[in-house]
Amino acid sequence: MSEETAQQLTDTDAAILSWETWDRVKHTERFAIVAAVVFVALWSWLFARAPITSELGGYHSLATTILIWSVFAIGFNLLLGQTGLLSFGHAMFWGGGGYAAALVSLHVYGDPVLMLVVGTTFTLLLAALTGVIALRLHAVYFAIITLAMGQLLYYLATSPLRPITGGRNGLTGIQLEPIFGLVYLGMPLPGIFGTLWVNYEYLLVATVFVLVIAFVNRIRKSPYGLIFRAIRENEQRVSFVGLNVWRYKFAAFLMSGGIVGLGGSLMTIESQFAGLGSLYWITSGEVVIMTVLGGVGTLFGPVLGAVIFLYFEGVVDGFPIVGRYWLLMLATVFTAIVWKYPDGLWGMLKLIASRIRSSVEDNP
Amino acid sequence: MSLLESAVRFTYLSLSIASVYILVAVGFSIAFGTLKFVNMAHGALYLFGAYIGLFVAFEYNVGGSLGAYSPVGLDLGFAAALILVPVVVFAIGLVMERLIANPFYERSLLDQLLVTFGILLILQEFVAILVGRGGFSYDRTGWATGTIPLPGIGTASRWRIYVIAFTIVLLAVLYAFYKYTDYGLAVRAGTEDAEMVQMLGIKISRPFALIFAIGAAYAGLGGILGGSLFTVHPEIGIEILIPALLVVVVGGVGSLTGTIVAGLLLGVTFTATTRVYPEMATASLFLLAIIILSIKPTGLFGKEEVTA
Repeated sequence: MSEETAQQLTDTDAAILSWETWDRVKHTERFAIVAAVVFVALWSWLFARAPITSELGGYHSLATTILIWSVFAIGFNLLLGQTGLLSFGHAMFWGGGGYAAALVSLHVYGDPVLMLVVGTTFTLLLAALTGVIALRLHAVYFAIITLAMGQLLYYLATSPLRPITGGRNGLTGIQLEPIFGLVYLGMPLPGIFGTLWVNYEYLLVATVFVLVIAFVNRIRKSPYGLIFRAIRENEQRVSFVGLNVWRYKFAAFLMSGGIVGLGGSLMTIESQFAGLGSLYWITSGEVVIMTVLGGVGTLFGPVLGAVIFLYFEGVVDGFPIVGRYWLLMLATVFTAIVWKYPDGLWGMLKLIASRIRSSVEDNP
Repeated sequence: MSLLESAVRFTYLSLSIASVYILVAVGFSIAFGTLKFVNMAHGALYLFGAYIGLFVAFEYNVGGSLGAYSPVGLDLGFAAALILVPVVVFAIGLVMERLIANPFYERSLLDQLLVTFGILLILQEFVAILVGRGGFSYDRTGWATGTIPLPGIGTASRWRIYVIAFTIVLLAVLYAFYKYTDYGLAVRAGTEDAEMVQMLGIKISRPFALIFAIGAAYAGLGGILGGSLFTVHPEIGIEILIPALLVVVVGGVGSLTGTIVAGLLLGVTFTATTRVYPEMATASLFLLAIIILSIKPTGLFGKEEVTA
């Protein structure tokens, strides 16, 4: 890659820790992937077991759950942030992938990789089916028809499909087989790896997380992703330059649905359960809140949003006195953020960082 | 039950449900169609209507933060609540228009949707913390209960008939307001071209605020009527919002006729499915919406393509 060699050449004469190097590096594709790897490598430890930070009340299984929800939010953000389509029915992909993964493990074989593949494939089909209908509509109409589709699926799973989905009880008794026939996901990791990542399951989740980040980052940096953003800005102009808008929207919808389904299957592996809650529209609402809170259209914003949301739901909820106000606090933060910083917390952090930096640069 | 009696029963059941849907949807549709403002917090107005009505009319022992002061309520009777609620919610609507809608008219549809969704959640949690998450139900007084005898056919629920009649009157008033008053004319003109209306020297913000608050009052009334037909708990605001949104988009945003037709359609579908397959009653509304929107993406009476 020519980009790489150029970088190495300039690296030699510029100081390693200068703003110029940082500006160049932070926009490279590899930087995002390295950042994601470092993040997942330290995340569980920092959240649940590190000396000071774990005092906040995090625990390992919540750390894993947060990574999985992050995949959900990243997938959702691929549609909302890139093409500007707000779906209020993404729970259908999350729950659909979860149920498909659960069913394949119950009736065929419980290899986690097989579950991921089947879950993702199922949601891709579902996204193709629903996308054909929903993508004819715009804005609020689109939000509502996706909501309607998600809810229809929820009610289908509740009653007519009860023999398959288990109705209100959900699907339990999911047996996980060793991954590729080698090792069980619940097995603890040895030594320092055990301290950092606890078990193989975290490794699997972390790997999927990094792959999803890499994939979405590739889309964002590609000319293809640029067209998504052009559609968000002005659909009509994109069609005037001769591009088939519908095709791009459909592709974005498929990719988004597929990633969310991947997340949903991971959730089934993590909880060994698939339930109706995952299909309910509140779940769609939650992912909207996470994504918008973190920062629509940013790569790591949804991850930040997922961390905050699930921290409130999973930890603050248990605090004495303030615990019962968790949803009120979260909703207030959410509203304030949308009101003042439409780019979310990530955008807010960026703004603060750039202010600090400019003040540092002005007074050396 | 004779065939005729069950037909009558079916009619007033579906019409009373449709009435609640329409009352809530109409305000949302006006705000969206006229002011170009998506107001998810509209659900909170229904919620307020239901709770204010409850505590104006009766006294209840409540949970939550107010639990210590139980019983809470004015105990003025149901009729007083029916008069007071629209007035109070009208005022809330005016405040909401000034404080929430006004700063957001120029922002994108998405921002409006998200902010008002957040506000809906805040208000809902606020109610839940004040009076607890438990449910209440209206115990209606004598004139609003019992049955009306229909000669030769059987009986009909008195209160449901009142709800239907009440809704018809309210819709007629709204229609007259739109068609025959200067304010209504200004609103209609403002829908077409707000800038032009302002250039003609009409202060458009006042009729807009008025129509917004009227929509709010209707949702508040929907709250007290719906609250007396179904149950009252903090999540009803979000729960009613879904059928109301379906009514709005199926009917076509901004169309009064569309809202009424879609409300009736959804009410009939809901009641019919409840009889045949109760578990899928709500689902049938979604299916209906999907079918209609697939055939006509702008809703039954929607005119133009809505783009954001």
